[in-house]
Amino acid sequence: MRLRRLVIVIGAALLLGGAAVSAHHSFAAEFDANAPVQLRGTVVKVEWINPHTWIHIDVRDVDGKTVRWMIEGGTPNTLLRRGLTRTSLPEGTEILVDGYKAKNGTNRANGRDLTFTDGRRLFMGSSGTGAPRDGRDAGER
Amino acid sequence: MRDRHIVLAIMMAATLAGAPPVAAQAARGASAGPPAKPYTTRTPWGEPDLQGTFSNRTITPFERPANVNGREYFTPEEVAAMEKRAQAQSGDEGRSKGTRGDVERAYNDFWWDRGTKVTTLRTSLVIDPPDGRVPPQTEATKLRAADEAKRPAFRGAGASGRGVDTWLDRSTFERCITRGMPGAMSPTAYNNNYRITQGPGFVAIQIEMLGGARVIPTDGRPHLRPSMRHWMGDSVGRWDGNTLVVETTNFTDKVLYRGAAENLHLVERFTRVGPDEIDYRVTITDPTTFTRPWTIAIPYVNTGEEMFEYACHEGNYGMEGILSGAREEERKAREQKR
Repeated sequence: MRLRRLVIVIGAALLLGGAAVSAHHSFAAEFDANAPVQLRGTVVKVEWINPHTWIHIDVRDVDGKTVRWMIEGGTPNTLLRRGLTRTSLPEGTEILVDGYKAKNGTNRANGRDLTFTDGRRLFMGSSGTGAPRDGRDAGER
Repeated sequence: MRDRHIVLAIMMAATLAGAPPVAAQAARGASAGPPAKPYTTRTPWGEPDLQGTFSNRTITPFERPANVNGREYFTPEEVAAMEKRAQAQSGDEGRSKGTRGDVERAYNDFWWDRGTKVTTLRTSLVIDPPDGRVPPQTEATKLRAADEAKRPAFRGAGASGRGVDTWLDRSTFERCITRGMPGAMSPTAYNNNYRITQGPGFVAIQIEMLGGARVIPTDGRPHLRPSMRHWMGDSVGRWDGNTLVVETTNFTDKVLYRGAAENLHLVERFTRVGPDEIDYRVTITDPTTFTRPWTIAIPYVNTGEEMFEYACHEGNYGMEGILSGAREEERKAREQKR
Protein backbone atom coordinates (compact mmCIF):
# COMPACT_ATOMS: atom_id res chain seq x y z
CA MET A 1 0.00 0.00 0.00
CA ARG A 2 2.77 2.33 1.01
CA LEU A 3 4.76 1.37 -2.07
CA ARG A 4 1.77 2.02 -4.32
CA ARG A 5 1.38 5.46 -2.80
CA LEU A 6 5.05 6.17 -3.42
CA VAL A 7 4.72 5.05 -7.04
CA ILE A 8 1.74 7.38 -7.52
CA VAL A 9 3.70 10.27 -6.04
CA ILE A 10 6.67 9.61 -8.31
CA GLY A 11 4.36 9.26 -11.31
CA ALA A 12 2.68 12.55 -10.48
CA ALA A 13 6.06 14.21 -10.08
CA LEU A 14 7.15 12.92 -13.49
CA LEU A 15 3.96 14.09 -15.14
CA LEU A 16 4.19 17.48 -13.51
CA GLY A 17 7.67 17.65 -15.00
CA GLY A 18 9.01 21.17 -15.02
CA ALA A 19 5.94 22.69 -13.38
CA ALA A 20 7.26 25.21 -10.90
CA VAL A 21 6.77 24.27 -7.29
CA SER A 22 8.38 27.09 -5.43
CA ALA A 23 7.31 29.84 -3.12
CA HIS A 24 8.27 33.45 -3.59
CA HIS A 25 11.48 32.85 -1.70
CA SER A 26 13.58 29.96 -0.51
CA PHE A 27 12.09 28.55 2.67
CA ALA A 28 15.13 26.33 3.15
CA ALA A 29 17.30 29.47 3.33
CA GLU A 30 15.08 31.05 5.97
CA PHE A 31 14.08 28.03 8.06
CA ASP A 32 16.10 25.14 9.45
CA ALA A 33 15.24 21.63 8.23
CA ASN A 34 17.05 20.33 11.33
CA ALA A 35 14.85 22.31 13.69
CA PRO A 36 11.28 21.08 13.33
CA VAL A 37 8.90 22.63 15.81
CA GLN A 38 5.37 21.87 16.94
CA LEU A 39 3.41 24.64 18.57
CA ARG A 40 -0.05 25.00 20.04
CA GLY A 41 -1.14 28.57 20.46
CA THR A 42 -3.89 31.12 20.19
CA VAL A 43 -4.10 33.60 17.37
CA VAL A 44 -3.17 37.15 18.41
CA LYS A 45 -3.25 38.73 14.96
CA VAL A 46 -2.74 37.92 11.32
CA GLU A 47 -0.58 40.15 9.14
CA TRP A 48 -2.54 39.90 5.92
CA ILE A 49 0.38 41.04 3.78
CA ASN A 50 2.30 40.08 0.68
CA PRO A 51 4.46 38.35 -0.26
CA HIS A 52 3.68 36.17 2.80
CA THR A 53 1.03 36.13 5.47
CA TRP A 54 2.27 36.05 9.08
CA ILE A 55 0.11 34.55 11.82
CA HIS A 56 1.08 35.71 15.32
CA ILE A 57 0.25 33.23 18.07
CA ASP A 58 0.74 33.12 21.83
CA VAL A 59 2.24 29.84 22.97
CA ARG A 60 2.50 28.73 26.58
CA ASP A 61 5.94 27.24 27.13
CA VAL A 62 6.91 24.46 29.57
CA ASP A 63 7.32 26.97 32.41
CA GLY A 64 3.82 28.30 31.88
CA LYS A 65 5.19 31.50 30.39
CA THR A 66 3.50 32.94 27.31
CA VAL A 67 5.78 33.31 24.31
CA ARG A 68 4.76 34.98 21.06
CA TRP A 69 5.58 33.25 17.79
CA MET A 70 5.27 34.43 14.18
CA ILE A 71 4.23 31.81 11.63
CA GLU A 72 4.86 32.33 7.93
CA GLY A 73 2.16 31.38 5.43
CA GLY A 74 1.58 32.02 1.74
CA THR A 75 0.22 34.95 -0.23
CA PRO A 76 -3.13 36.21 1.02
CA ASN A 77 -4.20 36.78 -2.60
CA THR A 78 -5.02 33.10 -3.08
CA LEU A 79 -7.19 33.08 0.04
CA LEU A 80 -8.92 36.35 -0.93
CA ARG A 81 -9.79 34.88 -4.28
CA ARG A 82 -11.39 31.93 -2.51
CA GLY A 83 -13.59 34.20 -0.49
CA LEU A 84 -11.57 34.21 2.73
CA THR A 85 -10.94 37.49 4.47
CA ARG A 86 -8.90 38.96 7.29
CA THR A 87 -11.66 37.91 9.67
CA SER A 88 -11.44 34.24 8.68
CA LEU A 89 -8.96 33.48 11.46
CA PRO A 90 -10.27 35.39 14.48
CA GLU A 91 -8.17 36.39 17.46
CA GLY A 92 -8.25 33.76 20.16
CA THR A 93 -8.58 30.78 17.79
CA GLU A 94 -6.46 27.89 18.97
CA ILE A 95 -4.29 26.36 16.26
CA LEU A 96 -1.56 23.76 15.89
CA VAL A 97 1.58 24.53 13.94
CA ASP A 98 3.89 21.87 12.57
CA GLY A 99 6.80 23.68 10.96
CA TYR A 100 10.45 24.59 11.07
CA LYS A 101 12.16 27.20 13.23
CA ALA A 102 13.80 30.25 11.70
CA LYS A 103 17.56 29.99 11.33
CA ASN A 104 18.00 33.42 12.91
CA GLY A 105 16.99 32.12 16.32
CA THR A 106 13.91 34.33 16.73
CA ASN A 107 10.49 32.94 17.57
CA ARG A 108 9.54 32.52 13.96
CA ALA A 109 8.59 29.37 12.08
CA ASN A 110 6.97 28.45 8.83
CA GLY A 111 3.48 27.01 8.99
CA ARG A 112 4.33 23.87 7.08
CA ASP A 113 1.15 22.28 8.39
CA LEU A 114 -1.52 24.39 10.06
CA THR A 115 -4.54 22.77 11.70
CA PHE A 116 -7.26 23.58 14.16
CA THR A 117 -7.14 21.59 17.37
CA ASP A 118 -9.81 19.20 16.05
CA GLY A 119 -7.55 18.24 13.17
CA ARG A 120 -9.24 20.30 10.45
CA ARG A 121 -6.96 22.23 8.17
CA LEU A 122 -6.93 25.97 8.54
CA PHE A 123 -8.99 27.78 5.91
CA MET A 124 -10.37 24.47 4.68
CA GLY A 125 -13.77 23.04 5.34
CA SER A 126 -15.38 26.42 4.90
CA SER A 127 -17.66 25.31 2.08
CA GLY A 128 -17.48 26.93 -1.28
CA THR A 129 -14.03 28.36 -0.85
CA GLY A 130 -12.72 26.32 -3.73
CA ALA A 131 -9.69 25.38 -1.69
CA PRO A 132 -7.97 22.26 -2.98
CA ARG A 133 -8.89 19.03 -1.29
CA ASP A 134 -5.80 17.35 0.00
CA GLY A 135 -7.16 14.39 1.91
CA ARG A 136 -6.04 15.62 5.31
CA ASP A 137 -9.20 17.50 6.19
CA ALA A 138 -11.51 15.42 8.39
CA GLY A 139 -14.48 16.46 6.24
CA GLU A 140 -12.93 14.82 3.19
CA ARG A 141 -12.70 11.34 4.63
CA MET B 1 28.01 25.15 -4.15
CA ARG B 2 27.26 21.56 -4.95
CA ASP B 3 24.12 22.61 -6.82
CA ARG B 4 26.19 24.97 -8.92
CA HIS B 5 28.55 22.15 -9.91
CA ILE B 6 25.62 20.01 -10.93
CA VAL B 7 24.18 22.84 -13.02
CA LEU B 8 27.55 23.38 -14.67
CA ALA B 9 27.89 19.68 -15.39
CA ILE B 10 24.44 19.60 -16.98
CA MET B 11 25.25 22.68 -19.03
CA MET B 12 28.52 21.16 -20.19
CA ALA B 13 26.81 17.95 -21.18
CA ALA B 14 24.11 19.85 -22.99
CA THR B 15 26.28 22.22 -24.97
CA LEU B 16 28.29 20.01 -27.29
CA ALA B 17 26.57 21.48 -30.33
CA GLY B 18 27.62 24.93 -31.54
CA ALA B 19 25.30 27.91 -32.04
CA PRO B 20 23.76 28.41 -35.49
CA PRO B 21 23.86 31.93 -36.89
CA VAL B 22 21.14 34.44 -35.84
CA ALA B 23 19.40 34.56 -39.23
CA ALA B 24 18.89 30.80 -39.27
CA GLN B 25 17.51 30.94 -35.72
CA ALA B 26 15.02 33.68 -36.52
CA ALA B 27 13.75 31.89 -39.64
CA ARG B 28 13.09 28.66 -37.76
CA GLY B 29 11.56 30.36 -34.76
CA ALA B 30 9.07 32.29 -36.87
CA SER B 31 7.30 29.14 -38.09
CA ALA B 32 6.88 27.52 -34.66
CA GLY B 33 3.65 25.59 -34.23
CA PRO B 34 0.36 25.73 -36.12
CA PRO B 35 -1.24 29.19 -36.08
CA ALA B 36 -3.92 29.95 -33.49
CA LYS B 37 -7.49 30.23 -34.82
CA PRO B 38 -8.70 33.69 -33.89
CA TYR B 39 -12.03 34.62 -32.33
CA THR B 40 -12.32 38.33 -32.70
CA THR B 41 -14.18 40.99 -30.86
CA ARG B 42 -13.18 44.61 -31.33
CA THR B 43 -12.63 47.60 -29.14
CA PRO B 44 -14.79 50.70 -29.85
CA TRP B 45 -11.83 52.14 -31.78
CA GLY B 46 -11.58 49.03 -33.95
CA GLU B 47 -8.62 47.07 -32.63
CA PRO B 48 -8.91 43.37 -31.68
CA ASP B 49 -10.11 43.20 -28.07
CA LEU B 50 -7.89 41.16 -25.75
CA GLN B 51 -9.17 42.71 -22.53
CA GLY B 52 -10.02 40.75 -19.42
CA THR B 53 -8.53 39.10 -16.36
CA PHE B 54 -6.78 35.87 -17.17
CA SER B 55 -4.96 33.08 -15.41
CA ASN B 56 -2.28 30.95 -17.04
CA ARG B 57 -2.14 28.31 -14.31
CA THR B 58 -2.03 24.81 -15.72
CA ILE B 59 -0.93 21.33 -14.80
CA THR B 60 0.41 20.73 -18.31
CA PRO B 61 4.16 20.12 -17.91
CA PHE B 62 6.58 22.77 -19.18
CA GLU B 63 8.67 20.19 -21.04
CA ARG B 64 7.41 16.92 -22.49
CA PRO B 65 7.71 14.13 -19.93
CA ALA B 66 9.52 10.95 -20.94
CA ASN B 67 6.56 8.72 -20.12
CA VAL B 68 4.38 9.92 -23.04
CA ASN B 69 6.86 8.42 -25.52
CA GLY B 70 7.13 11.55 -27.63
CA ARG B 71 3.38 11.98 -28.16
CA GLU B 72 2.31 15.58 -28.78
CA TYR B 73 -1.11 15.25 -27.11
CA PHE B 74 -2.46 13.61 -24.00
CA THR B 75 -5.30 11.12 -24.31
CA PRO B 76 -8.60 12.05 -22.60
CA GLU B 77 -7.91 9.26 -20.09
CA GLU B 78 -4.54 10.74 -19.22
CA VAL B 79 -6.09 14.17 -18.79
CA ALA B 80 -8.78 12.77 -16.48
CA ALA B 81 -6.13 10.96 -14.43
CA MET B 82 -3.92 14.06 -14.20
CA GLU B 83 -6.80 16.26 -13.09
CA LYS B 84 -7.94 13.71 -10.56
CA ARG B 85 -4.43 13.51 -9.19
CA ALA B 86 -4.12 17.30 -9.05
CA GLN B 87 -7.40 17.46 -7.12
CA ALA B 88 -6.22 14.85 -4.68
CA GLN B 89 -2.63 15.98 -4.50
CA SER B 90 -1.60 16.45 -0.97
CA GLY B 91 1.25 18.41 0.41
CA ASP B 92 1.73 15.55 2.79
CA GLU B 93 1.81 12.66 0.36
CA GLY B 94 5.34 11.41 0.58
CA ARG B 95 6.19 14.12 3.07
CA SER B 96 9.52 13.42 4.71
CA LYS B 97 9.86 15.58 7.77
CA GLY B 98 13.16 17.19 8.62
CA THR B 99 14.32 17.45 5.02
CA ARG B 100 15.15 20.46 2.91
CA GLY B 101 12.43 19.38 0.47
CA ASP B 102 9.81 19.47 3.19
CA VAL B 103 10.88 22.96 4.24
CA GLU B 104 10.74 24.13 0.63
CA ARG B 105 7.24 22.70 0.34
CA ALA B 106 6.56 25.66 2.65
CA TYR B 107 2.93 25.23 3.68
CA ASN B 108 -0.40 23.44 3.23
CA ASP B 109 -2.04 23.23 -0.16
CA PHE B 110 -4.58 25.93 0.60
CA TRP B 111 -1.93 28.58 0.07
CA TRP B 112 -0.96 27.28 -3.38
CA ASP B 113 -2.72 27.88 -6.68
CA ARG B 114 -1.02 25.70 -9.24
CA GLY B 115 -4.31 24.79 -10.84
CA THR B 116 -6.02 21.46 -11.18
CA LYS B 117 -6.88 21.59 -14.89
CA VAL B 118 -5.11 20.58 -18.06
CA THR B 119 -5.63 23.77 -20.07
CA THR B 120 -3.97 22.46 -23.20
CA LEU B 121 -4.01 18.86 -24.38
CA ARG B 122 -0.42 19.23 -25.50
CA THR B 123 2.01 17.15 -23.49
CA SER B 124 4.25 20.20 -22.95
CA LEU B 125 4.05 23.97 -22.94
CA VAL B 126 7.17 23.93 -25.12
CA ILE B 127 5.76 23.47 -28.65
CA ASP B 128 8.96 24.03 -30.60
CA PRO B 129 11.39 22.25 -30.96
CA PRO B 130 9.01 19.46 -31.94
CA ASP B 131 10.35 17.22 -29.15
CA GLY B 132 8.76 19.59 -26.61
CA ARG B 133 12.05 20.14 -24.79
CA VAL B 134 14.06 23.30 -24.20
CA PRO B 135 16.94 23.21 -26.69
CA PRO B 136 20.49 22.66 -25.41
CA GLN B 137 22.52 25.65 -24.33
CA THR B 138 25.53 26.84 -26.28
CA GLU B 139 29.22 26.55 -25.49
CA ALA B 140 29.21 30.30 -24.81
CA THR B 141 26.59 29.82 -22.11
CA LYS B 142 28.76 27.27 -20.41
CA LEU B 143 31.73 29.65 -20.37
CA ARG B 144 29.53 32.47 -19.14
CA ALA B 145 28.14 30.31 -16.33
CA ALA B 146 31.68 29.43 -15.26
CA ASP B 147 32.62 33.10 -15.30
CA GLU B 148 29.46 33.97 -13.43
CA ALA B 149 30.36 31.54 -10.68
CA LYS B 150 33.46 33.64 -9.93
CA ARG B 151 31.65 36.98 -9.93
CA PRO B 152 29.61 38.54 -7.19
CA ALA B 153 25.98 37.68 -7.60
CA PHE B 154 23.48 40.26 -8.83
CA ARG B 155 21.81 37.98 -11.34
CA GLY B 156 19.50 35.06 -11.50
CA ALA B 157 15.72 34.95 -11.43
CA GLY B 158 15.67 31.49 -9.89
CA ALA B 159 14.17 30.70 -6.53
CA SER B 160 17.28 30.31 -4.47
CA GLY B 161 19.79 32.90 -5.56
CA ARG B 162 23.47 32.27 -5.10
CA GLY B 163 24.71 33.24 -1.70
CA VAL B 164 23.61 34.83 1.56
CA ASP B 165 26.20 37.59 2.09
CA THR B 166 23.91 40.39 0.93
CA TRP B 167 20.47 40.87 -0.56
CA LEU B 168 22.27 41.30 -3.87
CA ASP B 169 23.14 37.60 -3.66
CA ARG B 170 19.48 36.67 -3.72
CA SER B 171 17.37 36.22 -6.83
CA THR B 172 15.47 39.12 -8.34
CA PHE B 173 12.30 37.16 -7.51
CA GLU B 174 13.18 37.02 -3.81
CA ARG B 175 14.13 40.68 -3.96
CA CYS B 176 10.61 41.52 -5.18
CA ILE B 177 11.99 43.01 -8.40
CA THR B 178 10.98 40.72 -11.25
CA ARG B 179 10.81 37.14 -12.45
CA GLY B 180 12.27 38.47 -15.69
CA MET B 181 10.92 37.74 -19.14
CA PRO B 182 9.33 35.52 -20.22
CA GLY B 183 9.31 34.22 -16.62
CA ALA B 184 6.81 36.89 -15.60
CA MET B 185 4.41 35.63 -18.29
CA SER B 186 4.83 31.95 -17.33
CA PRO B 187 2.82 30.07 -14.71
CA THR B 188 4.19 29.40 -11.25
CA ALA B 189 2.75 28.07 -8.00
CA TYR B 190 0.36 30.97 -7.25
CA ASN B 191 -0.64 34.51 -8.31
CA ASN B 192 -0.85 33.45 -11.97
CA ASN B 193 -3.15 36.33 -12.82
CA TYR B 194 -2.96 38.97 -15.52
CA ARG B 195 -5.25 41.85 -16.43
CA ILE B 196 -5.13 43.13 -19.98
CA THR B 197 -6.51 46.58 -20.72
CA GLN B 198 -6.29 48.54 -23.95
CA GLY B 199 -6.43 52.10 -25.18
CA PRO B 200 -5.90 53.36 -28.72
CA GLY B 201 -2.29 52.58 -29.53
CA PHE B 202 -1.50 50.84 -26.23
CA VAL B 203 -1.97 47.46 -24.55
CA ALA B 204 -1.28 47.19 -20.81
CA ILE B 205 -0.72 43.89 -19.04
CA GLN B 206 -0.93 44.03 -15.26
CA ILE B 207 0.93 41.12 -13.67
CA GLU B 208 -0.18 39.98 -10.23
CA MET B 209 2.98 38.13 -9.16
CA LEU B 210 5.36 40.82 -7.84
CA GLY B 211 3.01 43.47 -9.23
CA GLY B 212 3.76 45.89 -12.04
CA ALA B 213 2.44 46.34 -15.53
CA ARG B 214 3.83 46.11 -19.02
CA VAL B 215 2.66 49.06 -21.08
CA ILE B 216 3.13 48.10 -24.72
CA PRO B 217 2.83 50.72 -27.47
CA THR B 218 1.30 49.58 -30.76
CA ASP B 219 1.68 52.94 -32.48
CA GLY B 220 4.63 52.01 -34.63
CA ARG B 221 7.36 53.58 -32.52
CA PRO B 222 10.83 52.01 -32.70
CA HIS B 223 12.67 50.25 -29.87
CA LEU B 224 14.74 52.27 -27.42
CA ARG B 225 18.34 52.79 -28.42
CA PRO B 226 20.56 49.79 -27.52
CA SER B 227 22.17 51.53 -24.52
CA MET B 228 18.80 51.67 -22.71
CA ARG B 229 18.38 48.43 -20.74
CA HIS B 230 15.28 47.45 -18.75
CA TRP B 231 14.55 44.73 -16.19
CA MET B 232 11.59 43.61 -18.33
CA GLY B 233 13.15 44.64 -21.63
CA ASP B 234 11.64 47.12 -24.07
CA SER B 235 8.40 45.87 -25.64
CA VAL B 236 7.01 47.18 -28.91
CA GLY B 237 3.73 45.81 -30.26
CA ARG B 238 1.89 45.67 -33.56
CA TRP B 239 -1.29 44.05 -34.82
CA ASP B 240 -0.90 41.15 -37.25
CA GLY B 241 -4.53 40.60 -38.24
CA ASN B 242 -6.23 39.64 -34.99
CA THR B 243 -3.01 38.84 -33.20
CA LEU B 244 -1.03 41.20 -31.01
CA VAL B 245 2.65 40.66 -31.79
CA VAL B 246 5.07 42.01 -29.18
CA GLU B 247 8.79 42.12 -29.76
CA THR B 248 10.94 42.62 -26.65
CA THR B 249 14.64 43.51 -26.63
CA ASN B 250 16.96 45.77 -24.55
CA PHE B 251 17.17 43.46 -21.52
CA THR B 252 19.60 44.14 -18.69
CA ASP B 253 22.36 41.73 -17.74
CA LYS B 254 20.91 41.56 -14.21
CA VAL B 255 18.17 39.00 -14.77
CA LEU B 256 18.70 35.49 -16.01
CA TYR B 257 16.17 33.38 -17.85
CA ARG B 258 17.52 29.85 -18.19
CA GLY B 259 21.01 31.23 -18.70
CA ALA B 260 19.94 34.03 -21.07
CA ALA B 261 20.09 37.72 -20.20
CA GLU B 262 20.93 40.85 -22.18
CA ASN B 263 20.88 39.13 -25.58
CA LEU B 264 17.36 37.77 -25.20
CA HIS B 265 15.03 38.52 -28.08
CA LEU B 266 11.37 37.65 -27.51
CA VAL B 267 8.45 37.59 -29.90
CA GLU B 268 5.12 37.11 -28.16
CA ARG B 269 1.83 36.47 -29.94
CA PHE B 270 -1.50 37.07 -28.19
CA THR B 271 -4.54 35.73 -30.09
CA ARG B 272 -8.05 35.57 -28.66
CA VAL B 273 -9.26 32.10 -29.64
CA GLY B 274 -12.60 32.15 -27.82
CA PRO B 275 -14.68 34.39 -25.59
CA ASP B 276 -12.67 33.25 -22.58
CA GLU B 277 -9.26 32.29 -23.89
CA ILE B 278 -6.14 33.86 -25.30
CA ASP B 279 -3.57 31.72 -27.05
CA TYR B 280 -0.25 33.09 -25.77
CA ARG B 281 2.99 32.13 -27.48
CA VAL B 282 6.48 33.35 -27.03
CA THR B 283 9.47 32.54 -29.18
CA ILE B 284 12.76 32.85 -27.35
CA THR B 285 15.85 33.60 -29.40
CA ASP B 286 19.34 34.11 -28.06
CA PRO B 287 22.10 32.53 -30.14
CA THR B 288 24.58 33.27 -27.36
CA THR B 289 22.60 31.04 -25.00
CA PHE B 290 20.46 28.52 -26.90
CA THR B 291 21.41 26.34 -29.84
CA ARG B 292 18.15 27.27 -31.56
CA PRO B 293 15.04 29.42 -30.97
CA TRP B 294 12.23 27.80 -29.05
CA THR B 295 8.57 28.50 -28.44
CA ILE B 296 6.22 28.10 -25.51
CA ALA B 297 2.42 28.16 -25.87
CA ILE B 298 0.31 28.82 -22.77
CA PRO B 299 -3.47 29.22 -22.64
CA TYR B 300 -4.54 32.38 -20.80
CA VAL B 301 -8.02 31.61 -19.48
CA ASN B 302 -10.47 34.36 -18.51
CA THR B 303 -11.27 34.11 -14.82
CA GLY B 304 -13.66 37.03 -14.43
CA GLU B 305 -12.04 37.44 -11.01
CA GLU B 306 -10.43 40.37 -9.29
CA MET B 307 -6.76 41.18 -9.39
CA PHE B 308 -5.20 41.82 -6.01
CA GLU B 309 -2.23 43.92 -5.07
CA TYR B 310 1.02 42.10 -4.39
CA ALA B 311 2.97 44.81 -2.61
CA CYS B 312 6.05 42.73 -2.07
CA HIS B 313 8.80 44.94 -0.62
CA GLU B 314 7.01 46.22 2.46
CA GLY B 315 6.18 42.75 3.71
CA ASN B 316 9.30 40.91 2.60
CA TYR B 317 10.26 39.67 6.08
CA GLY B 318 11.61 36.59 4.31
CA MET B 319 14.64 38.49 3.01
CA GLU B 320 15.48 39.66 6.53
CA GLY B 321 14.98 36.10 7.79
CA ILE B 322 17.30 34.63 5.15
CA LEU B 323 20.14 37.08 5.76
CA SER B 324 19.87 37.17 9.56
CA GLY B 325 19.58 33.36 9.54
CA ALA B 326 22.88 33.15 7.66
CA ARG B 327 24.56 35.52 10.15
CA GLU B 328 23.33 33.39 13.04
CA GLU B 329 24.66 30.21 11.40
CA GLU B 330 28.04 31.89 10.88
CA ARG B 331 28.11 32.96 14.53
CA LYS B 332 27.37 29.39 15.65
CA ALA B 333 30.10 28.06 13.36
CA ARG B 334 32.62 30.53 14.86
CA GLU B 335 31.65 29.47 18.36
CA GLN B 336 32.09 25.83 17.51
CA LYS B 337 35.61 26.48 16.25
CA ARG B 338 36.65 28.04 19.54
